Amino acid sequence: MSRILIGGIGNVLFADDGIGPFVARTLDARYRFPSDVEVADLGTPGLDLIDYFEGRERILLIDAVKSAEKPGSILLYHQAEIAQCCVGPRTGPHAPSLTETLLTVEMLGLSPQELVLVGVVGQSYETDCDLTGAVREAVDDAIDAVLSELDRWGVSYQAKPSGVEPGIWWTKPLGNFTAQVVQ
Amino acid sequence: MTKRITIDPITRIEGHLRIDVEVDNGKVSDAWASCTMWRGLEKILEGRDAREAWLFAQRICGVCTTVHAMASVRAVEDALKLEIPANAQFIRNIILINHALHDNMVHFYQLSALDWVDVMQIPKADAARATSIGEGLSSWTGNSREHMQATKDKAIRIAQSGQLGILANGYWGHPAMHLRPEVNLLLFTHYLQALEFQRKSHQIVAILGGKVPHIQNLTVGGVANAINLDSEAVLGMQRLEQIRLLMAEVTNFVHNVYFPDACALAGFYPEWFHIGGGSDRFIAVPDLPRDGKATHFDLPGGYIRSFASGGEGVLSIDGRFREAVTEDVTHAYYKGDKALHPWKGETIPDYTDWHADQKYTWVKAARFEGQPAEVGPLAQVLIGYKQGHALTRKWTDLALDRASSIAGHRIGVDQLRSTMGRQLTRAIRAAMLAELADQHLQLLIDNIAKGDYTTHNAPSFPSGEIEGVGTHEAPRGALSHWVVIDKGIIKNYQAVVPSTWNASPRDKAGVRGPYESALLGTQIADAEKPLETLRTIHSFDPCMACACHTFDPAGKKLGSVEDL
Repeated sequence: MSRILIGGIGNVLFADDGIGPFVARTLDARYRFPSDVEVADLGTPGLDLIDYFEGRERILLIDAVKSAEKPGSILLYHQAEIAQCCVGPRTGPHAPSLTETLLTVEMLGLSPQELVLVGVVGQSYETDCDLTGAVREAVDDAIDAVLSELDRWGVSYQAKPSGVEPGIWWTKPLGNFTAQVVQ
Repeated sequence: MTKRITIDPITRIEGHLRIDVEVDNGKVSDAWASCTMWRGLEKILEGRDAREAWLFAQRICGVCTTVHAMASVRAVEDALKLEIPANAQFIRNIILINHALHDNMVHFYQLSALDWVDVMQIPKADAARATSIGEGLSSWTGNSREHMQATKDKAIRIAQSGQLGILANGYWGHPAMHLRPEVNLLLFTHYLQALEFQRKSHQIVAILGGKVPHIQNLTVGGVANAINLDSEAVLGMQRLEQIRLLMAEVTNFVHNVYFPDACALAGFYPEWFHIGGGSDRFIAVPDLPRDGKATHFDLPGGYIRSFASGGEGVLSIDGRFREAVTEDVTHAYYKGDKALHPWKGETIPDYTDWHADQKYTWVKAARFEGQPAEVGPLAQVLIGYKQGHALTRKWTDLALDRASSIAGHRIGVDQLRSTMGRQLTRAIRAAMLAELADQHLQLLIDNIAKGDYTTHNAPSFPSGEIEGVGTHEAPRGALSHWVVIDKGIIKNYQAVVPSTWNASPRDKAGVRGPYESALLGTQIADAEKPLETLRTIHSFDPCMACACHTFDPAGKKLGSVEDL
């Protein structure tokens, strides 16, 4: 298990909620990380995120956040701030939030030394497979925020040769069909 | 006096289910289930390559990803009448079983146990006594005095610190919580231990599927796993052996911890076999095919048209499912005035706010032969049991014997139609799946040993319009994806998910859905803490399959009580 996890969280079918997976995949396409760093598009893991905590020293998550700041702003949160958020009664099993996940991890004694959330303020969470303009423009800022946290942690990384396409499959245009149609 | 209680997680992150109940003299007299967010999956898929539908379908939700991926490829394969290789079938089955075991364990421990287990009673527990209760239930090695003492110390630390963390919102001390401290201690110890075994079942899914959540190995026509017995890079003996070892650990936990715990909980709360019944009709779809053609199944399907009358038994579902499913939008936020078959289904949003007598939810009302039906482990176990399915009977009889001996009176199979019955049948199903897991791994190994390494049959798309339905008996019940394809491109797509059945609103005739009817008549001790309502709703393992999920640093409280 790698010592450090960089995980993008979010639902790629709900516009700016897809920023986490988008940034994780872009990072992976642009940089080469040491073998003890895992970069992952985690989608919407809910409580399953706990699986990713075992044995990690440091965790960096990228997610869309709600805030009064303007869309595309980058906000950093640390474990203690996230864990302080109010947890209400569960009305559905899909309710467990990041907060509940962290509190569970804490109770299990699996907390990493440090957890940072790079939050990108979203504009739209409507059903749509692409980011809004303001959030798309913030992708590079989010990547810079991730890299500066890695710098602080003393993690080295190298830029990959240009031209590696990030696997952002969900933004492909409609009507694309490449297979042969038989009569 | 009549009160209306609204439990509304609309401000919650990932919360999408709202329940309104009218309480008359302490008893639920009416109920409404609503989903507060639009899924809109169907719109995303129109116009896309049918071979990629599963990739999008599994992104709709973070916890049920695998099941949507599977139903989606099956729908396209059904439309193409495309058989898949036996290896692909077994690999898919092993993934589905382990996904389900993970999901069932998470439900029992993390998502519903604390409705029944009062963690704040643990400091009063005698650790040695908890160990002897545990030893009476099974040979599980995690029931030692040291384990119990460690959990007790943890609970004392949490209670004394005042920082309750994850436990902050439990209804501790509620009059409906009545386990003795030692049982609370035992079950909470297993709550903590379960996480390790949930992780192991996900490791199995990841070995075959590439990653969790969101597996990568499916393809229309089979799976993308390469098989080579001598290679460590692809699926070979080394990985198959790794899967077998992990599976043995998961099976041991399911059979010696989860199953006995569920039986014990049922035995200690036998009154909940008389609460939360509701539905009269049940549907399960057959699953875990034992051949590429999918003609023989290890999990039986069927339809109970009238549970109350008892005489009719279980009807076959083959073919009928294709014809008899419709969705009604009278009380859902969509345009349209008649019930439509999913292939003809429309998804045109028409939001109107919450109106008890008009539209109040984003969930369409799924109907079978025009009537509501409950899906899920309860449906599956009742159907298997009444058909005489040997594996279902074996585990159900064992569960009822254990629960009855703790309760001190006989609990019969018909009492499973209840809140506690849903909890218990989920554990029965998990015990069955754990037993089947090893069989399907062996089927895979035997087939490979015959020299068959095929995992994929290439699809070819006809020029005309084709229709297909893919079903899967998911952890929450019958799931179906319906697709219309024209020259390889998706023309229409509808997902009728288990919660479309269970969280269904009223239909045009005013007939309530399963959640709504299950809540009727429930006694509520304290309107400010409607634990009884949550127990019944949680027993369905609700999932709104629409995980638009953002982190909301503000966090908000929810729930309200209004005098009418």
